[in-house]
Amino acid sequence: MLSITSYAQSATKISFNPVFGKPVLHLDDSCYTTDSICISNFKCYISAIKLLQNDSLVWEEKNSFHLLDAANEKSLYILLNTHSNLKYNKIKFNIGIDSATNVSGAMGGDLDPTKGMYWTWQSGYINMKLEGKSKLCKTRNNEFQFHLGGYQNADNALQTVLLNVTDNKEIVIAIDLQKIFTVIDLAKHNQIMSPGKEAVLFAEKFSKIFSVQQ
Amino acid sequence: MRNKFIILVLIGLFIASFSIKNEPIFVVPQNWPKPHYDFNKNPLSTDKIELGKALFYDPILSRNDKISCASCHSPYNAFTHVDHALSHGIDDRIGTRNSPALMNLAWHKSFMWDGAINHIDMQALAPMSNALEMDSKIENVVAKLQQSTIYTKLFYQAFGDSMITGEHTLKAISQFMLTLVSANSKYDSVMRKQTEFTSQERKGFELFQQHCGSCHKQPLFTNLQFENNGLPIDKTLNDFGRMNITKDAKDSLLFKVPTLRNIEFSYPYMHDGRFKKLSEVLNHYTSGVQQSKTLSKQLQKKIILTPNEKADIIAFLLTLSDKEFLFNPKFRK
Repeated sequence: MLSITSYAQSATKISFNPVFGKPVLHLDDSCYTTDSICISNFKCYISAIKLLQNDSLVWEEKNSFHLLDAANEKSLYILLNTHSNLKYNKIKFNIGIDSATNVSGAMGGDLDPTKGMYWTWQSGYINMKLEGKSKLCKTRNNEFQFHLGGYQNADNALQTVLLNVTDNKEIVIAIDLQKIFTVIDLAKHNQIMSPGKEAVLFAEKFSKIFSVQQ
Repeated sequence: MRNKFIILVLIGLFIASFSIKNEPIFVVPQNWPKPHYDFNKNPLSTDKIELGKALFYDPILSRNDKISCASCHSPYNAFTHVDHALSHGIDDRIGTRNSPALMNLAWHKSFMWDGAINHIDMQALAPMSNALEMDSKIENVVAKLQQSTIYTKLFYQAFGDSMITGEHTLKAISQFMLTLVSANSKYDSVMRKQTEFTSQERKGFELFQQHCGSCHKQPLFTNLQFENNGLPIDKTLNDFGRMNITKDAKDSLLFKVPTLRNIEFSYPYMHDGRFKKLSEVLNHYTSGVQQSKTLSKQLQKKIILTPNEKADIIAFLLTLSDKEFLFNPKFRK
């Protein structure tokens, strides 16, 4: 009897595609000429992946924590163990690590602190790291560094993204980093390395650069 | 082959009978609250504790293989750093605070003088990465451990996996620290009605309860809260304590209330180690407290103690020394 109700396992593939405007994101010293911006490091946690049909939850991933690293192509693909006749038209996920997980001690896999996404001087995960150079930054070597995190009360930088999808087999999500530089003034804001108001504001802007590629 | 199997079974039975006879790994002392640490997420085992102890005493955690946890948390001094107001780390660099004594950590909700660390598993990351302490990072530590045949074996015994991870490294260190329970001082024996205080100690205990006991709450001798105990700020350090973490002015000059257990061995005192003797500490509370907006409400009314009463309190504080804890070979290398 039980076997009748069990669904055939199938996988839904999510591909994250970090871009800078049109070109594929490259992490090296050649800057994007129009903006004179080079990106040297981009990492970000995606967690609590959920699939919805209209507004009702139809599937959610257990232990859903994934570290995307632009330098590691494999990390940009996530296979979800969904079932073949699953219908959904929305995907929902968090950018960053929720507060309960932040206070749960040492964890493994993508949450292992050796991944370089955990603050050591003050407990807490770094939800997103974006580093690079721009002539606009009057800093040492023109560097900018955005390490967004914070999980407590008003400093909670966790963001939720909800996107419409059409394809039920593969979801391609673009992360257009160029957009972030159109809404922040690099001359004024080029270093965020602790939780606080500035990190929360940046995280809100960052969450808007995710879009489904058709 | 068959013989080997029988031998293995016999060894297994021998080990099993041995561990049954052994004392349980972690005991909540009589009349103590429930520990805060969730042991289900990191179940204690003898192998993990032994691995944690090896890591605690191993300078491999530091950049130049010279500084271990025990460098500043010496088992000979209630797991703290004596003789130095501010603890020193790698290349003789001087830190900004007095290293706290380590004991009864399973009951603590936050760590460090300012509560910067939210879980004991994550505590070791801080000194490991601090440039004045070990000046390394967990990635490098794990890489070094992976090169060691001794550690790959110890990790395999402890976690059933010779692949060394940051998670397992931190959990093992936690396990050793969690076993550092001090609950067998003369005070504890008196509470269990196995012995009695001298009359001076009893007088001291009464005065202690009246003047000190709300912050240094029994049985841990800390309320685990952050308080401003009225120390004038040291202008060379400008350390505002808890406010550095919360950025909230209400937390200015608040520091975590330290335990007083084994205080005879954990000198110097205060977050910056400014007092060498217990008498100086008591003199601060009777005549050195600075008024400020964030001063602990318990200290807003002046504490008056005669010299004899101070001597009585000190006599009581010495009953918090736990010889079994302080000289336990199990905790030593």
